[in-house]
Amino acid sequence: MRAHRLSSPLFDSIGRFSGLCATALLMVLLQPAKSYAQDPEVSCEKCHGDAEFVANIPGTREHSFMVPKSVLVGTSHSDLDCADCHESEAEGYPHVEEVEPVNCVSCHEVEGFEWSGSVHLGDGMATPGCVSCHTAHNVLSSADPASPTNALNVAVLCGSCHTDPEILATYFVGPEQELARTAAEQYHETVHGVAVEQAGLVVSATCNDCHGAHFVLPADSPASTVNRTHITETCGECHDIPADVHRSPMHVDTAGVTDAADLPDCTDCHTAHSIVRSDEPRWFVGLAETCGGCHERVYETYFDTYHGQVTGLGFGLTAKCSDCHTAHQVFPASNPESSVSPLALVETCARCHEAANANFVKYLAHGDMRDRERYPVLFWPWALMTTLLVSVWSFFAIHSILWLTRSLIEATRSKARLEENV
Amino acid sequence: MFREAVASSDRGAGPYVLRFSPIERALHIMVIISFFGLVVTGTPLLFSQTEWASRMIRLVGGSASAGLIHRVCGVITFLYFFIHIGNLGYRIAKSENRKSFFWGPDSMVAQPNDVRDLLQTFKWFVGKAPKPQFDRFSYMDKLDYWGEFWGVAIIGGSGLLLWFPELFARVFPGWIFNVASIVHGIEALLAAGVIFTIHFFNANLRPEKFPIDVVMFTGRATMDYLKEEHPLQYERMLKDGTLEGKITNPPARAAYLWSVSLGLLGLSVGLLLIGLILWALLFGGATP
Repeated sequence: MRAHRLSSPLFDSIGRFSGLCATALLMVLLQPAKSYAQDPEVSCEKCHGDAEFVANIPGTREHSFMVPKSVLVGTSHSDLDCADCHESEAEGYPHVEEVEPVNCVSCHEVEGFEWSGSVHLGDGMATPGCVSCHTAHNVLSSADPASPTNALNVAVLCGSCHTDPEILATYFVGPEQELARTAAEQYHETVHGVAVEQAGLVVSATCNDCHGAHFVLPADSPASTVNRTHITETCGECHDIPADVHRSPMHVDTAGVTDAADLPDCTDCHTAHSIVRSDEPRWFVGLAETCGGCHERVYETYFDTYHGQVTGLGFGLTAKCSDCHTAHQVFPASNPESSVSPLALVETCARCHEAANANFVKYLAHGDMRDRERYPVLFWPWALMTTLLVSVWSFFAIHSILWLTRSLIEATRSKARLEENV
Repeated sequence: MFREAVASSDRGAGPYVLRFSPIERALHIMVIISFFGLVVTGTPLLFSQTEWASRMIRLVGGSASAGLIHRVCGVITFLYFFIHIGNLGYRIAKSENRKSFFWGPDSMVAQPNDVRDLLQTFKWFVGKAPKPQFDRFSYMDKLDYWGEFWGVAIIGGSGLLLWFPELFARVFPGWIFNVASIVHGIEALLAAGVIFTIHFFNANLRPEKFPIDVVMFTGRATMDYLKEEHPLQYERMLKDGTLEGKITNPPARAAYLWSVSLGLLGLSVGLLLIGLILWALLFGGATP
């Protein structure tokens, strides 16, 4: 499926950066070249390891050309020679006029193949190639904490482009700009970012764990690891249980929803880049709003109960949605497997209210006192009490206003009388 | 005189007469403390979507601590309620004139003259009659008194249900707690609404008493106060010779200053609370 994309642009782009360097080098070195015969025996080190020589090349930047063999020591490429990558330059000195770009794919076939199908291989765009992430000479294994591609550094690496206003403005359209920027910025505060960057828990997820390292595609692309059709598998790579559960009929074929795209997946509740621990206040306080985004009716009535009111005030003391309905095994109450089915209610309520019994669970956790048809037992007390409140208070409020008015009138009159008498 | 500056219970000329006994004053202090505690920790629940409600609960140390304060104040409420009932029973038992507790000018029981007074007050409002002359307790005083009875019974009863749901669920079906929440909340709004507007106005803020009347704290008021606020009682006691026995020393300066300060503080906090409640009722979750 991706094979047809592995065409010449791949190779052009792979070598884009190294090729750029090579071309510049060539242009400069070509000038004295005419006086020398091409000599295969001249070692790279002779020029590229001689600081004085490099410094005297007119119009060059020293670091670009100062590449002694020692730069590879300790890298993943320590066993390679210059010529292994710089094949065309290796033909001798002076270098050939048409320098071939370095072709990483000659060894790293799979990575190159994946990258060539990714969003990072744009059509002629200055999108990242191999060296953008891995560097040219100091290529380290991603297991090495010093590598930019180590889990500890990935978010910063990706963020260096994904928070750059110019890059965002060029490659992201409309609201995607803000989305991409906040994603890269917020990651550091998510449960994943905190685990990786602050606790050094490198098994936690960083950018490439969800998006892939080389085969990075936008979420709306069906092949993307973060596409709706794959996201549960992607999260499930680490989160075995919830992802498993999600694949069971939770939130599926309920409420007459037939299109799977309309059903919530991991990120619909947990978000993608603002994920926080489920025992943190900012998670459980916002939970009702999260569920309420779809379940509007029960969301409103939740705040008529003490459960919802305490949550609404910003405290975690009382039951939130998932405390009764569970987080992932959500079934309608009519399903015997549901935590809120009549069979399970006593047990569910007893998780907090230890002595809950069959009477106790007749509490209407989502009762609507404004709904006379369905909840007459709540409607009538509500209507009666509201009438009492409004009528008593209004009566005496009017009484007070009239009293005030009359008192002021009388005070003015008696004052006037006093002044007359004087 | 320092007294004339603020408190209307100290208006005009003395001597001072005793209007409330020490126990009645102590009970009213208990009412104030517990009522503010209950309103501050309770009403935010009814407006949980507003910013002020959330702040108020954080101010008292979070929802768990608010729940504790609410229950402690609830206990104080039951306490003053039963102290009053006990004291009343004791006084009735000891009294030589038991009937006076149930009928007549010294009784809190609503009587035909209260209805007449109310009607006359409305005529006075439109300038068709003179201002009614009140005896010891006006119908507004009785409203405060019976409102307290009704409120403690309704709010206290539903509050107990909500405090011990598992216990009461042995007998009642669970939806009784929904009903209790509804009744508790709306009745609490009524209580706060009446206390913080009607009672505040009638007892303190109306022009005759503005800004504050501290007789409920000091227990003492001037003879001029009695003549103006309770003229029938004044005449009656003058006639039957009991007025002299009621004459007492003026309140101590410290007691007066405490009464005025705490009274004004209570008035301000109460008005702020009812302001926030009305705002939330009228404008929903919008600021403040």
